[in-house]
Amino acid sequence: MNCYEHTLIAKQDLQEDQAKILVNKYKDIIIKNAGKVLKVEEWGLKNLSHIIKNNKKGFYFHIKFEGIGKTIDELEKAENIDQTLIRYLTVRVKAHDLEKEYFEKKKL
Amino acid sequence: MKKSRNFKKNKKNYRQSKLSLFQKSDLKFTKNCPLSGKNAPVIDYKNIKLLKKYLSESGRILPSRVTSVSLKKQKELSRSIKRARLLALL
Repeated sequence: MNCYEHTLIAKQDLQEDQAKILVNKYKDIIIKNAGKVLKVEEWGLKNLSHIIKNNKKGFYFHIKFEGIGKTIDELEKAENIDQTLIRYLTVRVKAHDLEKEYFEKKKL
Repeated sequence: MKKSRNFKKNKKNYRQSKLSLFQKSDLKFTKNCPLSGKNAPVIDYKNIKLLKKYLSESGRILPSRVTSVSLKKQKELSRSIKRARLLALL
Protein backbone atom coordinates (compact mmCIF):
# COMPACT_ATOMS: atom_id res chain seq x y z
CA MET A 1 0.00 0.00 0.00
CA ASN A 2 1.23 3.43 -0.94
CA CYS A 3 0.31 6.79 0.53
CA TYR A 4 -1.33 9.31 -1.78
CA GLU A 5 -2.67 12.83 -1.55
CA HIS A 6 -5.44 13.83 -3.91
CA THR A 7 -6.76 17.33 -4.55
CA LEU A 8 -9.94 18.15 -6.46
CA ILE A 9 -11.18 21.47 -7.79
CA ALA A 10 -14.92 21.58 -8.43
CA LYS A 11 -16.83 24.30 -10.24
CA GLN A 12 -18.11 27.32 -8.37
CA ASP A 13 -21.85 26.77 -8.91
CA LEU A 14 -22.11 23.92 -6.43
CA GLN A 15 -24.52 23.71 -3.50
CA GLU A 16 -23.27 22.45 -0.16
CA ASP A 17 -25.19 19.20 -0.26
CA GLN A 18 -23.98 18.62 -3.80
CA ALA A 19 -20.40 19.05 -2.61
CA LYS A 20 -20.87 16.36 0.03
CA ILE A 21 -22.30 13.97 -2.56
CA LEU A 22 -19.35 14.67 -4.84
CA VAL A 23 -16.75 13.88 -2.16
CA ASN A 24 -18.62 10.79 -0.98
CA LYS A 25 -18.75 9.53 -4.56
CA TYR A 26 -14.97 9.58 -4.85
CA LYS A 27 -14.51 8.22 -1.34
CA ASP A 28 -16.64 5.22 -2.33
CA ILE A 29 -14.54 4.65 -5.44
CA ILE A 30 -11.38 4.57 -3.33
CA ILE A 31 -12.86 2.17 -0.79
CA LYS A 32 -14.25 -0.14 -3.49
CA ASN A 33 -10.84 -0.44 -5.18
CA ALA A 34 -8.73 -1.71 -2.28
CA GLY A 35 -8.09 1.72 -0.79
CA LYS A 36 -8.41 3.30 2.63
CA VAL A 37 -9.44 6.94 3.18
CA LEU A 38 -7.58 8.54 6.09
CA LYS A 39 -8.61 12.17 5.99
CA VAL A 40 -10.75 14.59 3.98
CA GLU A 41 -10.05 18.30 4.10
CA GLU A 42 -12.28 21.03 2.74
CA TRP A 43 -10.44 24.16 1.72
CA GLY A 44 -13.61 25.90 0.62
CA LEU A 45 -14.19 28.36 -2.18
CA LYS A 46 -10.95 29.92 -3.34
CA ASN A 47 -9.91 32.28 -6.09
CA LEU A 48 -7.93 30.60 -8.85
CA SER A 49 -4.65 32.36 -9.61
CA HIS A 50 -5.43 32.18 -13.32
CA ILE A 51 -8.54 31.45 -15.33
CA ILE A 52 -9.08 27.76 -16.14
CA LYS A 53 -11.80 26.89 -18.66
CA ASN A 54 -13.63 30.17 -17.97
CA ASN A 55 -13.65 29.60 -14.21
CA LYS A 56 -12.40 32.21 -11.78
CA LYS A 57 -13.20 30.43 -8.52
CA GLY A 58 -13.28 26.82 -7.40
CA PHE A 59 -14.18 24.54 -4.52
CA TYR A 60 -11.11 22.72 -3.20
CA PHE A 61 -11.20 19.27 -1.63
CA HIS A 62 -8.20 17.35 -0.35
CA ILE A 63 -8.24 13.59 0.30
CA LYS A 64 -5.44 11.65 1.99
CA PHE A 65 -5.63 7.92 1.34
CA GLU A 66 -3.74 4.65 0.99
CA GLY A 67 -4.11 2.51 -2.06
CA ILE A 68 -2.59 0.65 -4.99
CA GLY A 69 -2.16 1.53 -8.65
CA LYS A 70 -5.60 0.27 -9.57
CA THR A 71 -7.23 2.62 -7.05
CA ILE A 72 -5.84 5.65 -8.85
CA ASP A 73 -6.68 4.29 -12.29
CA GLU A 74 -10.34 3.92 -11.35
CA LEU A 75 -10.43 7.24 -9.50
CA GLU A 76 -9.00 9.25 -12.40
CA LYS A 77 -11.14 7.40 -14.93
CA ALA A 78 -14.25 8.61 -13.10
CA GLU A 79 -12.86 12.14 -12.78
CA ASN A 80 -12.01 12.49 -16.44
CA ILE A 81 -15.65 12.24 -17.45
CA ASP A 82 -17.00 14.37 -14.58
CA GLN A 83 -18.33 17.69 -15.88
CA THR A 84 -18.41 19.39 -12.46
CA LEU A 85 -14.64 19.19 -11.94
CA ILE A 86 -12.12 21.69 -13.17
CA ARG A 87 -8.90 19.89 -12.27
CA TYR A 88 -7.37 17.20 -10.04
CA LEU A 89 -3.92 16.21 -8.83
CA THR A 90 -2.60 13.01 -7.26
CA VAL A 91 0.73 13.06 -5.44
CA ARG A 92 2.51 10.11 -3.88
CA VAL A 93 4.05 10.82 -0.49
CA LYS A 94 6.36 8.77 1.70
CA ALA A 95 4.33 9.28 4.88
CA HIS A 96 1.14 11.10 5.73
CA ASP A 97 1.17 14.22 7.88
CA LEU A 98 -2.36 14.18 9.25
CA GLU A 99 -2.02 17.04 11.72
CA LYS A 100 -0.81 20.00 9.73
CA GLU A 101 -3.36 21.88 7.63
CA TYR A 102 -2.13 24.66 5.37
CA PHE A 103 -5.60 25.85 4.40
CA GLU A 104 -8.34 26.52 6.90
CA LYS A 105 -11.89 26.74 5.73
CA LYS A 106 -13.24 30.24 6.08
CA LYS A 107 -16.45 30.42 8.06
CA LEU A 108 -19.02 32.77 6.64
CA MET B 1 44.18 55.48 3.25
CA LYS B 2 41.90 57.26 0.88
CA LYS B 3 40.90 54.02 -0.71
CA SER B 4 39.84 52.36 2.53
CA ARG B 5 37.71 55.34 3.50
CA ASN B 6 35.92 55.09 0.20
CA PHE B 7 35.28 51.45 0.77
CA LYS B 8 33.64 52.14 4.12
CA LYS B 9 31.44 54.78 2.59
CA ASN B 10 30.39 52.44 -0.19
CA LYS B 11 29.55 49.69 2.24
CA LYS B 12 27.21 51.97 4.14
CA ASN B 13 25.43 52.98 0.96
CA TYR B 14 25.23 49.40 -0.11
CA ARG B 15 23.43 48.37 3.03
CA GLN B 16 20.84 51.08 2.58
CA SER B 17 20.19 50.29 -1.04
CA LYS B 18 19.47 46.61 -0.62
CA LEU B 19 17.25 45.66 -3.52
CA SER B 20 16.05 42.20 -2.64
CA LEU B 21 15.63 39.87 0.30
CA PHE B 22 18.32 37.54 -0.97
CA GLN B 23 20.98 40.09 -1.93
CA LYS B 24 24.30 39.02 -0.45
CA SER B 25 26.24 41.39 1.76
CA ASP B 26 29.77 42.56 0.94
CA LEU B 27 31.23 40.98 4.00
CA LYS B 28 29.95 37.48 3.72
CA PHE B 29 30.23 35.68 0.42
CA THR B 30 29.11 32.21 1.41
CA LYS B 31 25.65 31.59 2.79
CA ASN B 32 24.19 28.32 3.93
CA CYS B 33 21.14 26.83 2.33
CA PRO B 34 18.03 28.17 4.11
CA LEU B 35 16.03 25.00 3.41
CA SER B 36 18.44 22.30 4.66
CA GLY B 37 19.70 21.53 8.13
CA LYS B 38 17.85 21.38 11.38
CA ASN B 39 14.60 23.29 11.88
CA ALA B 40 14.34 23.98 8.14
CA PRO B 41 10.81 24.45 6.80
CA VAL B 42 9.22 21.56 4.92
CA ILE B 43 8.89 22.09 1.17
CA ASP B 44 5.35 21.21 0.16
CA TYR B 45 3.08 22.24 -2.69
CA LYS B 46 0.45 23.31 -0.12
CA ASN B 47 2.85 25.61 1.72
CA ILE B 48 2.16 28.66 -0.44
CA LYS B 49 3.67 31.14 2.00
CA LEU B 50 7.08 29.48 1.69
CA LEU B 51 6.96 28.98 -2.07
CA LYS B 52 6.10 32.62 -2.71
CA LYS B 53 9.46 33.66 -1.22
CA TYR B 54 11.26 31.86 -4.03
CA LEU B 55 9.33 33.45 -6.88
CA SER B 56 10.03 36.71 -8.68
CA GLU B 57 7.38 39.41 -8.88
CA SER B 58 6.17 38.08 -12.20
CA GLY B 59 5.88 34.57 -10.80
CA ARG B 60 9.04 32.98 -12.19
CA ILE B 61 11.24 30.69 -10.10
CA LEU B 62 14.33 32.46 -8.74
CA PRO B 63 17.70 30.85 -9.57
CA SER B 64 19.53 29.10 -6.74
CA ARG B 65 22.58 31.34 -7.22
CA VAL B 66 20.43 34.20 -5.99
CA THR B 67 18.70 32.41 -3.13
CA SER B 68 21.63 30.05 -2.24
CA VAL B 69 19.35 27.04 -2.00
CA SER B 70 21.20 23.73 -2.35
CA LEU B 71 20.84 21.72 -5.55
CA LYS B 72 18.82 18.97 -3.91
CA LYS B 73 16.39 21.39 -2.30
CA GLN B 74 16.10 23.51 -5.45
CA LYS B 75 14.88 20.47 -7.36
CA GLU B 76 12.36 19.74 -4.65
CA LEU B 77 11.31 23.38 -4.60
CA SER B 78 10.76 23.69 -8.34
CA ARG B 79 8.76 20.47 -8.37
CA SER B 80 6.41 21.69 -5.66
CA ILE B 81 6.06 25.14 -7.27
CA LYS B 82 4.94 23.47 -10.49
CA ARG B 83 2.43 21.35 -8.58
CA ALA B 84 1.01 24.44 -6.92
CA ARG B 85 0.74 26.15 -10.32
CA LEU B 86 -1.26 23.24 -11.67
CA LEU B 87 -3.76 23.63 -8.84
CA ALA B 88 -3.91 27.41 -9.53
CA LEU B 89 -2.64 28.21 -6.04
CA LEU B 90 0.30 30.33 -7.24
